[in-house]
Amino acid sequence: MKLLIVEDQARTGQYLSQGLSEAGFATELATDGETGQYLALTGDHDLLILDVMLPGRDGWQILHAVRSAGLDTPVLFLTARDAVEDRVHGLELGADDYLVKPFAFSELLARVRSLLRRGASPSQDTTLSLADLRLDLIRRRAERAGTRIDLTAKEFALLELLLRRQGEVLPKSLIASQVWDMNFDSDTNVIEVAVRRLRLKIDDPHPNKLIHTVRGMGYVLEERHD
Amino acid sequence: MRRLSLGTRLALLFAACTAAVSLGAGLLFNRASEQHFVELDQQLLESRLSLFRSQLAGLQGPGELQGRLPALRNELSHQADLALRIAGRDGATWFASRDSLPGTPPTPGLTTLHADGIDYRSLSVPPDAQTPAQLTLFLDITHHQHFLQSMQRLIWLTVGLSALATALLGAWAARSGLRPLRQMGRVAASVSARSLTTRLPVAQMPEELAELATTVNAMLQRLDDAFQRLSAFSADIAHELRTPLSNLLTHTQVTLTRPRSLEEYREALHGNLEELQWMAQMINDMLFLAKADHGLLVPGQTALALHDDVDALLEYYAPLAEDNEVQLLREGEAIVQGDRPMLRRALSNLLDNALRFTPKGGQVRVTLGPGLRICVANTGVAIEAAALPRLFDRFYRVDPARREGSSEHAGLGLAITRSIVQAHGGSISVQSREGWTRFVIELPETR
Repeated sequence: MKLLIVEDQARTGQYLSQGLSEAGFATELATDGETGQYLALTGDHDLLILDVMLPGRDGWQILHAVRSAGLDTPVLFLTARDAVEDRVHGLELGADDYLVKPFAFSELLARVRSLLRRGASPSQDTTLSLADLRLDLIRRRAERAGTRIDLTAKEFALLELLLRRQGEVLPKSLIASQVWDMNFDSDTNVIEVAVRRLRLKIDDPHPNKLIHTVRGMGYVLEERHD
Repeated sequence: MRRLSLGTRLALLFAACTAAVSLGAGLLFNRASEQHFVELDQQLLESRLSLFRSQLAGLQGPGELQGRLPALRNELSHQADLALRIAGRDGATWFASRDSLPGTPPTPGLTTLHADGIDYRSLSVPPDAQTPAQLTLFLDITHHQHFLQSMQRLIWLTVGLSALATALLGAWAARSGLRPLRQMGRVAASVSARSLTTRLPVAQMPEELAELATTVNAMLQRLDDAFQRLSAFSADIAHELRTPLSNLLTHTQVTLTRPRSLEEYREALHGNLEELQWMAQMINDMLFLAKADHGLLVPGQTALALHDDVDALLEYYAPLAEDNEVQLLREGEAIVQGDRPMLRRALSNLLDNALRFTPKGGQVRVTLGPGLRICVANTGVAIEAAALPRLFDRFYRVDPARREGSSEHAGLGLAITRSIVQAHGGSISVQSREGWTRFVIELPETR
């Protein structure tokens, strides 16, 4: 997976590039609009991450050029401005997502993965599993080590999300949005409580813990051997 | 053109009024005295004329006149300003007691005439059966005219002097009458960001200005309040950011003072990350509020079945409520026009706040309706009445001791809720009594 980052703030670009590389993506970085547009039109990228305010050509102009050239590469906008018109303008031009600075890198990573997954055909799996945890999507049943676990509808949805994106750190905001459809900033600790309650049912009776908290970033479902 | 001062205007206005009034009175008096003289003259002339007519009764022609002249002259000599002319039917003068008299007036009756610099009042009677001659009596009225002329001069003098006097008096009166206004001006001039506490002395103001002074004082009070809030807000921002920043600085520097294990470095970065996230969240919240302050928060207008959104929110908060052993309830239904994400955020903040202050075993109840009313109520200890209006202030916390710790709330949630409600054209209020704290949102009917 090859990503193009167009960001004029050197440090921001460098950090983003490093973070995304370490997350397993091949990244290319442009620090001005002209180069960014050239690379976007000539390179074969799976995703473009564009800053709106750029010297030379701004992010919108690049997006316009990309769409005019008939490319439907997903585009994620980064901006320091959070005006509704900006958001509408970007989406009208064909942007796929939008992040306002300051944002958490875990949030960006989760969004990038969502966008890249969008193109792929949805998995046809009827069961999801990790280690001895199994989720039957058709019968809506969860079991661990052969023991059935009673889950509420939302707990089931939360576990399904964690299983589908196992190994990925999922920020709280993404969980709130995907499981509860709550798409706003909130400093409530609801997600912490919900995860704690799920953990009580899934992990507590077992020595091999699967749900892990990544402090300050979110939650991840994975098998750890330490 | 330079604008006249209020004092000058009033003085000129007073002067003009006095001039008009005294001129009017003078003219009226002048006319009345003129009328009076005419009446006096007429009486005199009539009585004299009838006397002369009786003396000339039966007179047939100018020849007979000689015999009666001594009596006439004698009679005329009693009054020096009186003159008589006797003329025949053909207009020929038979007798004139004085030279250079004006001609006989064409019509009988009282007339004013002028000849050789002298004014006369004349009365004439046409010849009749008793007296075949035309008698015309002339009265010299020069002294009357002199009196009237000096009277007119006096009137003009009075008008001028009284106008001048009232202009001066008016200027003085206006000046002292407008003193409270100048005081207002001085107070207004002394008002600055540093001294918004100055107030006008309403008790010393005249009745007409007291209301204005009260209004100005109220305006100063509002400005002062807003300014205090703004200053407090800026100070709070600085304080709220300073604490995590100094934590970050200290923590990072301490970590770097000597080599540490990998685990310690990781721990340090996690600690920093938490502080940073807290700061990012707070900055995002403050940007949201700043946008609301500048009227940039433009809510969408979609018809929403609010009960569905409330149910979704209650489901979202269910784990937290169960943990706290608090019951969540929804009553009623409401269809509103609004922006779903914003309204959800507003209600979410209220629910979060309610859950935080509801004791174990308590209840949080969302009541929709009647109409476009949304009430979020929770059981719990009553909030002090003095603290209630301040709940919506930025960074306000009922218990100031709760501010430590980065996981603690920034105290912007209720301010954000209020901004969202106001952006929808609604209002929010809070009451706390009888063991319930109620936040009530009233949304407008249509916008």
